[in-house]
Amino acid sequence: MSDTTDAGGHGTSPDELAELREAVAQLRRGLDRFGGPDETDAVRPPAPAGPLESLAESVRAWLAEVDVIDLWDELRRRLSAAGGRGEHLPSTDDYGLDAEALARARRLLDFLYERWWRVEVVDARQVPDAPGLLFVSNRSGILPYDGLMIAHAVERESPRHQRPRFLVADWLVTLPFSQPLLARLGGVRACQENAERLLGAGESVVAFPEGQKGALKLFRDRYRLARFGRGGFVSLAVRRRATVVPVGVVGAEETHPVLFRSALVERLLGVPLPVTPTFPHLGPLGLIPLPSRWRIRFGEPIRFDAGPPERADDPLFVNRARERVRGAIRALVEEEVARRSGVFRA
Amino acid sequence: MSPRRSPRCLAITGLRSFVGQRIAARLLESANPPRVVGLDLNVPRRLEGRIAFHRVDLTEPTADSAVAEILEKERCDALLHAAFFTDPYPDLEYAHELEVVGSLHVMNACAASKVRKLVVTSTAQVYGARADNPNFLTEEHPLRAHPDAHAVRDRAEMEGLLRLFATRHPDMIVTSLRPCWITGPSYESAAMRRLGADRVTTLLGYDPLMQFLHEEDLLRAVELAIERDAPGPINLAGDGVLTLSTLLHMAGRRTLPVPHPLLYRLQYLDAMSRFGDRPAGFYDYLRFLWVVDAGRARAALDFEPVYTTQEAWMSQVVSRRMRKYR
Repeated sequence: MSDTTDAGGHGTSPDELAELREAVAQLRRGLDRFGGPDETDAVRPPAPAGPLESLAESVRAWLAEVDVIDLWDELRRRLSAAGGRGEHLPSTDDYGLDAEALARARRLLDFLYERWWRVEVVDARQVPDAPGLLFVSNRSGILPYDGLMIAHAVERESPRHQRPRFLVADWLVTLPFSQPLLARLGGVRACQENAERLLGAGESVVAFPEGQKGALKLFRDRYRLARFGRGGFVSLAVRRRATVVPVGVVGAEETHPVLFRSALVERLLGVPLPVTPTFPHLGPLGLIPLPSRWRIRFGEPIRFDAGPPERADDPLFVNRARERVRGAIRALVEEEVARRSGVFRA
Repeated sequence: MSPRRSPRCLAITGLRSFVGQRIAARLLESANPPRVVGLDLNVPRRLEGRIAFHRVDLTEPTADSAVAEILEKERCDALLHAAFFTDPYPDLEYAHELEVVGSLHVMNACAASKVRKLVVTSTAQVYGARADNPNFLTEEHPLRAHPDAHAVRDRAEMEGLLRLFATRHPDMIVTSLRPCWITGPSYESAAMRRLGADRVTTLLGYDPLMQFLHEEDLLRAVELAIERDAPGPINLAGDGVLTLSTLLHMAGRRTLPVPHPLLYRLQYLDAMSRFGDRPAGFYDYLRFLWVVDAGRARAALDFEPVYTTQEAWMSQVVSRRMRKYR
C-alpha cells in the first residue's frame, strides 16, 4: 500500500492509477478479440475525475459491451479445450481418424495398456515389416477395447510402428457418441468395402471375423471361438494380396463378463444389452472394464498370394483357408489361456 | 477417358433451375457455342431472347409427345434434364409428378427422337444416409433412400427408371450426375440455409464426415458430361472430407445439439403442420455417413474439382457473411 493517502481512505497513488487504467485497457483489448465492438479513444467519453468513478464507468461499459451468450460460448470453448476436445481444426483423414485426438488420447490409452490391463505382447517380431497387413483376431469384451489395444500394441511393438485401423460392429456405429469417438481413434465400420479400400491404400486393418457373436458371447463360452463369418476376410486377403497375421487376445473376455442376455429386452431397445456383474445396474460405472491381465500374441503370418486371385471366389478354398486361420488363432488363444496363472495376477 | 463429342444442338429441360440457367448462359458465352433450346414453364430473364424457348409443362399427360415434337423440330442431339426441385417441395404429389413422371416423359421423348445423349442432374443423397453405409459410396452401391424422405425417394425412383431406360436403349448415352451437397456464393438450398443459420441444430452424439461440391465445379462437371461420352451414374464431390463439427467451427457457427429421438419427433410435427420435409430428408444426412467416392468422375469425365470440400464450404460461409453488409 502506498503511504500517500487521501481523506476517506479511497486513496490511490498515480502509479496504481496508471496500472488500473492499463488493466482496463487490456480487458477492452481482450474483449475486442472475441467480437466486442471496436472503440477508439477518440470516441470514448472523457474520463471522469475520480479513480473510483473511472472504475465504475469502465465496469459499466464492459457490461454494456459484452454479449452474455458470446461469453458463455467462449467459456464452453475454453472448458472443452481444457477437457481435451480442443480446437476443431481440420486434422481428420478420409476415414475420420483425428491425429490430434489420438495424440490427446494417447495418455489414456497408454494407461490402459500399461497399468490397467498390463498388456503383455508375445512374438511381436512375427509381424512382417510390410504395409497393408490384415490382422485377424478373436473378438471379446463388449466394447471394442481389444481393437484399440491391438492397434496400440502393433504401433508400439511391431517393426514398422504403423498404427492399424480396427473394424467395429454396426451397432456401435449407430449409437450416439460412440460413432464420432471410435472414428477419431481409428475405428472403421466393418464391411468389405472399407477394409478393401484401406488395404488398397497400404493401411493395415484389424478384423474380427467372429463379429458380434464373439463380442457378446456368454462368460461360460469364453475363449471358445465362434464361426468366422463367411470368410470375407479370406477373399479380401486373396484379392488384395494382403498378408494375414493371426492375433490371439487373452484377458479381454474378462473385461465385461456377460452373465446373460435377454432377447426380449434387446428387441425392445434395438441394441444389444448384455448383463455383466456391473452393467446395467451400476449405470455408467458399469461401463468401466475390469482390470484383467491381457496377453496379445501374434502368430505366424499366413500368405495367400501364391495362387491366382480368382480363388477369392472359390467357396471351398475360402472355407478351408478360413478354418486354417481360425485354427491358428484358436491355438494361440488356448496356449495363452493355459499359460496364464490367473485372470488378474501376473 | 471418354472421347470428346460436343453436341450440335442441346435441349435443356428445366431451364429455370440453377443448372439449366447457368449451363445455358455458359454455353452461349463459350467460344464455339452449340444451339441451345430451352424447355420450361417460362424463360428466365437473363436468357430472354438469347435462346430458342418452348413452353412445356412436364406434368401434363401428353408432355412426352410435346417434348418429342420439339426435339424433332429443333433437331437436338443431346438433352440436359434439370427439371428438379432444389429443395423438397411441399406439394408431394406435384413433386412426384414432375420429378418421376415428368422425367419419364423426357426419357420417352428422347427415345422417340434422334437425341443420342441424355444427361440428368441427380444427387448423391439417393444413396441414402444409413448407419451401415461404407465410408465411400461407389456408383455400384444400391440406392437406399429413406422412404420418409419424399424428395430423395422420388429422385431415387427416377434413377431406377433411368437405369431401366439405359438398358433398354443401349445406343443412347445416359449419364446421371450425383453431386453431394452443393455450396457456393450463389447457390441457395434448404440444406445450406439450415447449415448457414447462426445456431445450427445438430444431433447430439453424431458427428459424421461431410463433403461439399462448389457450384462452379458442378457446372464444369455438367459441361464435361455434355461434351464427353460417359454413360452411367457419376458421383461428384470436392476432395477431402471434414467432420460436421469442424465445418461448423470453421464457420464460427454455434450449435444446438439435440438428442435425435426428440428432434425427429419435433420435426415430424413440423413436417405435418407445414407439409414440409420429413427429418429423414435432412437430419439423417447430419447423422450418418454418405460420403461418396468421386473417382469415376476423374476417370470417365476427366473432372478435377477446383475447390476442395473445405474451400467450397468456406466460399459459402464467406459469401454469406459478406451478404450481411450489402
